[in-house]
Amino acid sequence: MVEWRSRNVAILSWAFPATCIAVALIALPLAESTPLRLMIGVTALVIGSLIGVATSNSGNRFTTGLAVAAAMPLVLVDDAGGVDFAGVVVVYGAGLAVVWALRLSRGESHVELLPTLVRRLAGYYIYALVYASMRVGVFAEFDGGWQDLLPFGVALFAWLGVEVGLRALLVLGPRELSRTYLARALLHDLNVFLGLTLTGALFGELHPALNWWALPIALLPYSFAHTAFARFQETKVTYKQTIRALARIPEVSGLGIDGHADRTTEIAAAIAKEMGLGPVQVEHIEFAGLMHDIGRVSLNEPQILKMGYTNDDIARWSAEIIAEAPYLDRVADDVRNQYEPFRRPGEEADPDISIISRVIKVAAAYDWEIYQEGRTPLQALEHLHAGTAYEYDTQVVASLRRLLTTRGVLEPHVEARPQPPTSGHPDS
Amino acid sequence: MSHLTMGNRFKKRYGGWSNRLRHTVRRRLRVVIPYAVIGVAVLVGAALFFEPPEWGIWVAFAALFVFLEFFAVEVNDRLMQSSGVMVMMTAGVIFAVEPGSDATLGMVLMGVVASVTPTDIKERRWFQPLANFGQMCLAAGVAGFLLDVNLGHLEGATNESLLRVAVASSLAALAYVTTQHILIRRAVKIVFGSDNLEPWSKMGVLFSGQVVMGLLGGLIGAAIVIANRPAILVLIVGVYGIGHMSLYAFGQLRDSHIGSLRGFVKTLEAKDMYTRGHTERVAYFAQLIGEELAFTGTQLEEVRWAALIHDLGKLAVPTELIRKRGRLDDDEYEVMKDHAHLVEEILAEVDFLQPMVEIASGHHSHFDGNGYGGSGHIEGKAPSLESCIVAVADSFDAMTSARSYRMALSQQYALEELRRHSGGQFHPDVVDAFERALDKTRRRWGAPHVNDEEMARRLAEEPELTLRG
Repeated sequence: MVEWRSRNVAILSWAFPATCIAVALIALPLAESTPLRLMIGVTALVIGSLIGVATSNSGNRFTTGLAVAAAMPLVLVDDAGGVDFAGVVVVYGAGLAVVWALRLSRGESHVELLPTLVRRLAGYYIYALVYASMRVGVFAEFDGGWQDLLPFGVALFAWLGVEVGLRALLVLGPRELSRTYLARALLHDLNVFLGLTLTGALFGELHPALNWWALPIALLPYSFAHTAFARFQETKVTYKQTIRALARIPEVSGLGIDGHADRTTEIAAAIAKEMGLGPVQVEHIEFAGLMHDIGRVSLNEPQILKMGYTNDDIARWSAEIIAEAPYLDRVADDVRNQYEPFRRPGEEADPDISIISRVIKVAAAYDWEIYQEGRTPLQALEHLHAGTAYEYDTQVVASLRRLLTTRGVLEPHVEARPQPPTSGHPDS
Repeated sequence: MSHLTMGNRFKKRYGGWSNRLRHTVRRRLRVVIPYAVIGVAVLVGAALFFEPPEWGIWVAFAALFVFLEFFAVEVNDRLMQSSGVMVMMTAGVIFAVEPGSDATLGMVLMGVVASVTPTDIKERRWFQPLANFGQMCLAAGVAGFLLDVNLGHLEGATNESLLRVAVASSLAALAYVTTQHILIRRAVKIVFGSDNLEPWSKMGVLFSGQVVMGLLGGLIGAAIVIANRPAILVLIVGVYGIGHMSLYAFGQLRDSHIGSLRGFVKTLEAKDMYTRGHTERVAYFAQLIGEELAFTGTQLEEVRWAALIHDLGKLAVPTELIRKRGRLDDDEYEVMKDHAHLVEEILAEVDFLQPMVEIASGHHSHFDGNGYGGSGHIEGKAPSLESCIVAVADSFDAMTSARSYRMALSQQYALEELRRHSGGQFHPDVVDAFERALDKTRRRWGAPHVNDEEMARRLAEEPELTLRG
C-alpha cells in the first residue's frame, strides 16, 4: 500500500516539470517580451527560489522567489502597456521546472516537493491572471498613481487565498497536522509573505524609470526587513532552547522523570496541532509542557520531603516559579490547573480549565503511563479512555488516538518506545 | 540614537543608581535654556530663509518619522536605535530636489514634532522634550542645509544624479548624527557631571550604522523623485514598516528572554533566603569589574549573562548541603564540585549561551590553577579573565551577605580577603579593578563593623544580634 502510494506520488511529481515545460512552450510564441528578458526572468526566479527566508516557528519556509514572482507581471509588459501574460506564463513554468529539478537533486522527497511547488505555481498564476485582467479596461489608463496599487492588492489577496487554501488541502503523506492548523500557521507568517511580495511590486514600479538601479533600491528596505525576520527567528529559537534547558533542572537533579518534560511537550504540541489550535496556542502549550513539572525543584527541600506533597502542590510551585518570568507568566494559570479534572460528576465542564491545561494533562498522563507504568501505547490509550468525560477531555483523548494511529504505534504488538520527534512540517 | 530620552529609562532600570545620579533642577536648566534657544533660533532662521515643503508630503513623512522615533528598537546593550534618520534623509532629498521647496525648513519641522513623546506628556516631563527639541532642530537644520547646498540646484533628478544624491545624503546624515551625538553627550555631561555613563557612552557604536541608514534614505528619496510614482512610497513604507515591526518584536522577545531567565533564577533562589538576590548582585559586581577593565558590548554582555547563570547548577545540589555550616566532608565536597559541571549539562543545548556557560563553569577555578571547575578547568592553568571576574564577584558577595551560620562580613574585610588571595585564588588585575570600581560607586556592602569570621559566627549565634538580609 505504502509502496504503491509513493510510486504514484513519484509519477505525479515527474509530471509536474513536464506540464510546466509544456505550458511554457505553448506560451512562448505568444510572448511579446524579448527572449533575453524572459531568460533573465527565469534565472531570477530560480536563484530567488533557492534563497530561504527565516519565518516564525510555524514551520513554513518562504523564499525570495516570491518577490521575483510578484515583480514579474509588473515588469513584463507588452507594447500597449498591458501585462505580457504569455511571457509571465513562460517564466513561471520554466522557472519552477528548474526549481523542481534542483530541489530534487538536493534530496527532497517527492511527498514534500510536489505539494509545495503545485501550490506555488497555482498561487503565481492566479496572481498574474488577476493582475493582468485588472490592468485591462479601467485600470489600463492609470500609470504609476495610487490606483496602481489596487490591481496589485486584489491580485495579492487572491494569491494569498490560493496559498492558504492549498496549504491546508494539499498534503501528501501521513497527515498529523490538522488542516486548520496548517492554514492558521501560514497566516501567522503573513508579515514575511507581505514583505517579500511588496518588495517584488516595488521593483516592478521602480523598474521603468530607474532600469537596473531599481534592484539595489528595492532591496534596501527589504534587506532591513530580512535582518529583522532573521533576528526574531534566531531569538525565538534561542528562547526555546533556554526554556527547554531550564525545564531539565529537576531531571538533572534526579527530582523528576528523565525526559518527561520534553516528551510531554512533544506529544502535547502534536495533539494541539492535530486539534487545529493556532500557532500561538501551540506555542503556549509548548512552554506550559516544558514547565509543567518545574516545581519539582522544591523537592530537595528537607522540610517539604518531611511534610509530604501532592501533585497539586507541584502544580502550584511550578506556577509560582513561572509567574515571575515575563512571557512565561501567561501560561502560569494553565500550569496551575494541569491536574484539575476536566469536569466533576454532575457538573458542567469547568470553563476556567483552559484547553492548554487539558492538553497538558492528557499528554503528561500518557507519558507517565508509558515510562513509569511500562504500558504499551495501546494500553496507555485505553487507560486514558477509561478516564474520559470526567478526568480527561474527550476531544483531547480522541485527538491523541488519531495522532497515535497516524504514527502507527497503536498496533497491539508495539512495545513502549520513545516517540520519534515529529518530522516537522513539509516545506511550503 | 537620535532620540535618547534622558534619564527616565535609565533610572527605571537601575533603581539603585538613582541616588548617585540625583541631578538638580539647576543643572537641567543649564542644558535646557541654551538648547531651547538654539532650537528656536534654528526654527526662526529656517522659516525666514528657506522655502516650505509641499505640506501633503511633509505630513506623511513627519508621521512616519514620529512613528519610527517612538518605536525605537533596542540594539546591543540598552542602546535605543531608531531608523528615523533614514526617513529624515528621504524627506530631505525630496524637499531639496523638488523645485520650489527646501530641505532645511521641512526637516527642522520634522525634528520639532518628534521631540515630544507620549511618555513626556504622561509623566509631565519638561527636561527631555526641551533638550530634544534643541538638539533635533539643530541636527536637522545642519543636515537640511547641507542637502540644500548640494542638491538644491538640481531641480528634478535623473539617473545620472543618483551618485551625487548618495554623496550628499551621506554627508548630511554624517552631520545629523554627529550633531546629535555632540549635543546629547554635552547634555549628559552637564546633568550628570560625567559623560562616561551608560548607555550614552556607547553611542559611538551606532554611528556608522546611522550614516549608512542616512545614505540609504537619501537614495530612496532620489528614486521616488526620479520614478515620480506615488505607489512607490506606499510600497517602500510597507516593506519598511513590516521590517520595523519585526525588529520591534525581536527587541521585546529578547527582553523577555533575559527577563525569563532572570526571573526564573530569582524565584528558584528565593527558596533560600540566604542566597536571595545573590545572582543579581554578582551580575552587578561583574559588570562593574568588566566596565573597569574596558569591556565593551558583547564581552560585557557575556560576563553579565555568565554571572546570571553561574549558580544554576547549585539548584540541582541538595539544599541541606548548600546550607551546611562549616566544612564539607570529602563526599559532600565532590557533590558540590559537581555543580560546575551541572551548569554545562543543563545548558548544553542552548547554543548562544555556550561562551557564557564556559565562563560560568570556571568560576571556582583558581587563578593559580587550583580549585575545581567544569570541563574547561585544567589543573595548573589559569581560567579565562571572564571566569576570574565572576569568581571575584561571587566571593565578594558570599562574604558580604549573611549565611545561616554567620553574619555578613564588612566590605573592608572582604576586600582584604580578596587582596590576600590575589595572585593565588584570584586574578590580581581583577581584584585591582574591582577595588577601583567599588570605590567609584561610593556604596558600601556587607555589615559595617564585622571584621573577622569568628565575630561573624558568634554574632549569628546570638539571636537578638542577628541581622538578616
